[in-house]
Amino acid sequence: MLTVEHLVKQYGDFTAVDNVSFKASKGAVFGLLGPNGAGKSTTINCISGLMPPTSGHISIAGADVVKDGKRAKRSLGIVPQELALYEDLPAIGNLRYWGKAYGLRGSELDDRVREVLDHVGLADRAKDLPKTFSGGMKRRLNFGCGIVHRPTVLLLDEPTVGVDPQSRQRLFEMVEAERDAGACVLYTTHYMEEAERLCDSLAIIDHGKLIAQGTVAELKSQLSARDVLQLNGEFPATETAQLIETLSSGGMHDLELISQEEGVLTLTLSSASQHLPQIFAAITSMGGSVSETSLRSPNLETLFLLLTGKELRE
Amino acid sequence: MSFLFASFLKDLSRWRQDPMAVLLWLGIPFVIGGLITAMVDGGDGASPTGVLLIHDQDDSLLSGLIAGAYSQGQLGELISVEQVTLEEGTERINAGEASGFLVIPDGFSASFLEEKPVTLTLKTNPAQTILPGIIQDVTEILLDLGFYAQVLFGPEIKQIQNADSDIVPDDVFAADIAVQIQGKVDTISPHLFPPAFDVEIVAPPPAEPRPDIALLFLPGIVMMALLFAAQGLSADYWKERETGTLRRLVSTPGLLSRFVYGKALAAAVIIGLLGGVTLTLGFLYHGLAWSKFMPSLIWLTVSGVGLFAWFAALQMLFPTSKAANLLTTILLFPLLMMGGSFFPLDALPDWIAAIGRISPNGFVVDRLTTELTSATAWSFDLRSWAILVSMTVVGLGLCTWRLKTGFARR
Repeated sequence: MLTVEHLVKQYGDFTAVDNVSFKASKGAVFGLLGPNGAGKSTTINCISGLMPPTSGHISIAGADVVKDGKRAKRSLGIVPQELALYEDLPAIGNLRYWGKAYGLRGSELDDRVREVLDHVGLADRAKDLPKTFSGGMKRRLNFGCGIVHRPTVLLLDEPTVGVDPQSRQRLFEMVEAERDAGACVLYTTHYMEEAERLCDSLAIIDHGKLIAQGTVAELKSQLSARDVLQLNGEFPATETAQLIETLSSGGMHDLELISQEEGVLTLTLSSASQHLPQIFAAITSMGGSVSETSLRSPNLETLFLLLTGKELRE
Repeated sequence: MSFLFASFLKDLSRWRQDPMAVLLWLGIPFVIGGLITAMVDGGDGASPTGVLLIHDQDDSLLSGLIAGAYSQGQLGELISVEQVTLEEGTERINAGEASGFLVIPDGFSASFLEEKPVTLTLKTNPAQTILPGIIQDVTEILLDLGFYAQVLFGPEIKQIQNADSDIVPDDVFAADIAVQIQGKVDTISPHLFPPAFDVEIVAPPPAEPRPDIALLFLPGIVMMALLFAAQGLSADYWKERETGTLRRLVSTPGLLSRFVYGKALAAAVIIGLLGGVTLTLGFLYHGLAWSKFMPSLIWLTVSGVGLFAWFAALQMLFPTSKAANLLTTILLFPLLMMGGSFFPLDALPDWIAAIGRISPNGFVVDRLTTELTSATAWSFDLRSWAILVSMTVVGLGLCTWRLKTGFARR
């Protein structure tokens, strides 16, 4: 349904997207995860035709985005991160306009606009101007404008940024409804819990490169059920390798150093809580100290930390 | 085509939500135009009149003639003569309530007839320039006339003066005086009539009737409304960009050119409405031929859309909406000044008028002025229409090009 092959986007010497490839299927939600500036929006912009790729190939429902842009765009719906609405045009006017932009006409347009207004819960406010709406209502209308033409591929670019919990829940339901109706949904976010809830499969992107890809279950399995232990304090830099070796030989066979930065040591190992006294004792014996401890069970967030050595929201 | 129409309806519907902007575009030129027209047409057309105060201490026939001379003929339309006392006259001229104050001294008539020196006192109002000058000139002319009359008819005047004023003179006396005067007139008339020089009066070639000066302001005032509207409407591209709808549009199969033409069509309706209202009032006020109304309206509407397109294309070249808006606002006022909106092109210095006529709005105003002030029907000058339509099409093309080359994608 949506195929991205060896996508590269460069701005001069800077490579924003570096050889990214993935496929998203019909009736499924594909998540594109990564911190701000990782290259998610650039990828989305290339898919939606907002910017031409430097190289690579993108096809939407079999149509090449560059060579057959008009046909590709007909199958594509976009829900941008920022609201893209006419605040001085009634809600129904917005839906009708965007429906016409996608080529809907006559009774087909009328019926679909009615359906979407019901779907996004704005049927009773159809003739009101969006400038009189709450933030959540505007988000729903923004979503409605993206699906008014029944797209086969739907791009959602961080749709829940700045959205209250109630509206977020409503948005999830709408995304799931589109998926259930057979759409291929590409969902970008930097919230791992959203990805875990919505996505059937996903790709993690950082510095423009895909660093992991698969179903949520497949990606979690990469963690081998290990916890992530983050220690803040003072750690003699030269002694860290010795520390890891000491602890590994002391029974923590799957211990692995993820990263070491100024005052922060990040480790991964199974059943970390049971080994905390040994770890603290080893650090103290090396002349270090621990001021703060954070222990996280395996999830996508810890996977990202494992893969990149940094927090997703940094 | 359907998307073009959808874009047109969308913008029209949006502008309907902002009637205040449309009223302002209409209101500002009306206020300025109303003031200009009032200044040009100003008042009831009556000429200013001055007041000449006269204190006649002599109270003789001769002094009465002098006082009456100021009220004769066209002079009487300019100067109103009032007899006053010395105190009242002095007080009023000092208070600036009159243009001049003439004092005819006691014994003026006797001194005049006896050819003795006599002094008339004329005080003028320094706060006025023209009327006191006229009074002074007239007084000097009267005294010159008196001098020549005395030289010629001194004995006869003396005879009349010496006659008993209480008794009606008999026919013999009157006839004698008349014969004496007629004899002198016969003597000098060969020297006076005809004069010793010929005057050839060359009639100037018949000039075209000059149009009403207020009418010359009409095209510029209408164009002022359209310029304000075109500039205001053009800012909508930036508004669309800032609300993200342009980016969304690029990801749809809807053609950008149709979007641009739809927007231009909506602008045409608003500009046509503004032009229609201002022209209707102008036509009614100046009593213009209604056969020129539709061509004028079409001419203005097409030019308004052209200006809208060029303003929009210019705005889209700038990196921020503030910079874009500032530029077009700065550009607007020289265009208004030079393009005949504040002053008719004919009233501008030649070099400014020459620049104004090649400015986009000045070109439109110049052509419209020519047509509205002409006694003949609207002349469909193909060259002017070709320039106007080309300018508009190029402007719209530039807008499409700018949208495609990045403005809509950011």
